[in-house]
Amino acid sequence: MTSNTLSTSTTGALPRPVPQRTGRLLRLATQAGVIVLALLLWWFASATLPEATMPSPVETLARMGQLALTGGFWDAVGQTLLTFAAGLLICTVVGVPVGLAIGWSRIATQSTRLVFDFLRTIPPIAILPLVLLIYGPTFEMVLVVVVLGAIWPILIQSVYAARQGESLLAEMSASFRVPRRWFVTHVFFPGSLPFVMTGLRVGTTICLLLTITGELLSGAPGIGFQIQDAQLSLDTPRMYAYVLVSAVLGLLVNGGFWSAQRYLLRWHASNRKESAR
Amino acid sequence: MTITGSKKLQQAAGGNTDVALAARGLGHAYHGRNVLSSIDFEVRRGEFVCIVGPSGVGKTTLLRCLAGLQASTSGTVMIAGEPVTEPVPGVALVFQDYSRSLMPWASVLHNVTLPLRANGTSRAAAREEGLRALTLVGLDDVAAGMYPWQLSGGMQQRVAIARALAYNPALLLMDEPFASVDAYTRADLEDLMLRLQRELSLTVVLVTHDIDESVYLSDRVIALNGSPASVADIVEIPLGAERDQVGTKSTAEFAALRGRVHALIRGSRGSADATEARE
Amino acid sequence: MTPSTARVARTIGLEIWLPIVLVVVWWFASANSTSVYFPPLSSILGSFAHDWLDPAALPKNLVPSLQLLALGYLLAVVTGIVLGLVLGLVAPLERATRPLLEVLRAIPGVALLPIFIVLFGIDLQMKVLLIAFGAFWPVLLNTIDGVRGIEPVLLDVSRVFRVGRMRRLVSIVLPGASPQIFAGARTALAIALIIMVVSETIGGNGGVGYFLLNAQRNFAISSMWGAILALGILGYLLNIVLRIIERSVLRWHRLQQARLESQP
Ligand SMILES: Nc1ncnc2c1ncn2[C@@H]1O[C@H](COP(=O)(O)OP(=O)(O)O)[C@@H](O)[C@H]1O
Ligand SMILES: [Mg+2]
Repeated sequence: MTSNTLSTSTTGALPRPVPQRTGRLLRLATQAGVIVLALLLWWFASATLPEATMPSPVETLARMGQLALTGGFWDAVGQTLLTFAAGLLICTVVGVPVGLAIGWSRIATQSTRLVFDFLRTIPPIAILPLVLLIYGPTFEMVLVVVVLGAIWPILIQSVYAARQGESLLAEMSASFRVPRRWFVTHVFFPGSLPFVMTGLRVGTTICLLLTITGELLSGAPGIGFQIQDAQLSLDTPRMYAYVLVSAVLGLLVNGGFWSAQRYLLRWHASNRKESAR
Repeated sequence: MTITGSKKLQQAAGGNTDVALAARGLGHAYHGRNVLSSIDFEVRRGEFVCIVGPSGVGKTTLLRCLAGLQASTSGTVMIAGEPVTEPVPGVALVFQDYSRSLMPWASVLHNVTLPLRANGTSRAAAREEGLRALTLVGLDDVAAGMYPWQLSGGMQQRVAIARALAYNPALLLMDEPFASVDAYTRADLEDLMLRLQRELSLTVVLVTHDIDESVYLSDRVIALNGSPASVADIVEIPLGAERDQVGTKSTAEFAALRGRVHALIRGSRGSADATEARE
Repeated sequence: MTPSTARVARTIGLEIWLPIVLVVVWWFASANSTSVYFPPLSSILGSFAHDWLDPAALPKNLVPSLQLLALGYLLAVVTGIVLGLVLGLVAPLERATRPLLEVLRAIPGVALLPIFIVLFGIDLQMKVLLIAFGAFWPVLLNTIDGVRGIEPVLLDVSRVFRVGRMRRLVSIVLPGASPQIFAGARTALAIALIIMVVSETIGGNGGVGYFLLNAQRNFAISSMWGAILALGILGYLLNIVLRIIERSVLRWHRLQQARLESQP
């Protein structure tokens, strides 16, 4: 079963706390320096490359500012976020309970292993042409692709999480004659949460990737469509601006995920201030 | 083919005295907080010296400074008559936590031969040296082919000792090497160290929090106490070369020496308590 | 039958019954299907055999995909490990570049497709680079984490025994980080497959993506289902290959974990 997990660490490495104030200032300065350096490189590249292949950073940011004043921009951002959130919600609400339930039983786990393993390895993009024929370039179409792509890591990781219930804590609970309901809420769920979170982390990334990919390939409304549209109308600054927006969305989603995880897993060893290593 | 460090050390020592290691006014501070202050002592060649002190007093810090793993904030460490600023040839270290100091992905033999291979010994010669060192600590060819985590704790620590021996060290440093094994194994390993030290004329500096252990093993005991820690006193242990767990430990002489070291360390019990929280 | 072979047989039986049942149910439920989108399984399998098992069809449908995937994925893994080692070992560099890396990583790989088309044109090189860019990040970040998670005592050991830089890298850093690196390589493979399919829908050089697009244009539903099946099998086989490599390279890790679990 171990080979089915997505990562060797249960929660991934969290950003480490920074010890000192002066060190922190220096660090921020160097980080800003690196970003400025990257922007300068970008600017240099845009100046040397042929016209209309790459806009300068200034041009791109200016274009982003202009776009931010239009309603169409916020419609696209809102649509992408909606699809992403709906997809993640469905995957979580379905994937986690079903996964935990399957993982609870050894027989169910073994019976479903091959099926899930196979479904997981189908690149979700493969079903896009078919779903596109069925639904046309719509929100529902992207949602189907997102859910069918992102649910597997969440589900499989939840199965794995529930299998951890066989451990010492289960024996401890049995020896103290802890009632089953109490065991589920106080021991089983918290104990499987770190593993569930690993699945959700991967699922979150895949959700956003598939949302934007789906929009880009099918022409369903959203940021992906805007990128594609800008390319077709040879409007490179707009294209770069929307790619940048997608990166910002990715950052926000990652950041949101880390804070949620930090809060939910504040008891976990990876979040304790200083462990004995 | 062995490490040339010992030769160099002998030459340097041959000039003036037979001092293998010296700490001169050694002090160390973490983030401005003094942990060690003006530590002074010398270790002669062929001597078995224990440094003893309560948990958290700064023993590991001291040993890391001696090994050159950590720069002291004041004073100097001299090995072979030269100041130490980084790990020098001919010094081997056995760490407290065997499970973390052995590579889990490498066989026992590979763990033992890595330092030799890294210092230019040929594969075949390193293998031979490694097997010999393993035999010295009582491990056979079968164990040599296993992964360290397939062995018991005591055997793993034997592997760590074999790794240090294979390096043919002029100076062997050990940081609470027997603190994480059970009492029987600990007694075996203590006797193993006594035997090896005699047979190979090793120079050993062993750090421990166990007063009995320090008296049983040493020619001299360096007692640390206080916060920041300093040398309370250095006690000669005239128990002779032949020692055994039951006989030696039940002599009146042993009891007296152990009482003396105990009193030295308790000299500042209060401050030792304050730092005991961290192992 | 000895007890152990009986147990193996039981395990295999447990794992295999559901897939068989599902296929059988699919076969009969779809046998008389008149739905355009859900053709009978028999006709899907027919298309599958025609498009993916016929040696004559493979050079056009499969070989370009495999070539693209191999180049892009290997490029991602090699650069990811090398840069990950550098950033993992040089902590100040890693800290300084972390925000920039986070921004770059946050770009959904496929969103760069239009940019790459404009920059590099539509050719093999562009597609390889796009796959490499997308698959690079999980390898890089996992390698960094793996290197930084190496037991500090082992690094002390290597310093005391004066193990040189190169040997330290090969004997301590790389093996120590390898479990994490493999975890990254698994994620990278999934991403590489996605980007491979997407990039092949651009330009007409054959491959699975191109085939899918064609089937969609021609409304060849059975062929589309066949291609989905083919991609699933391809992904499954590639995962197995990766897992075999991982099992042999990380044999020590697997055995050690098993031992840790058996003695709490
Ligand atoms: N890396 C470090 N940073 C800050 N303080 C440390 C560090 N290592 C040890 N200390 C502190 O220095 C003191 C001595 O620690 P140590 O040398 O490990 O003691 P011992 O080995 O005698 O138990 C302790 O109070 C400990 O908290
Ligand atoms: Mg210590």
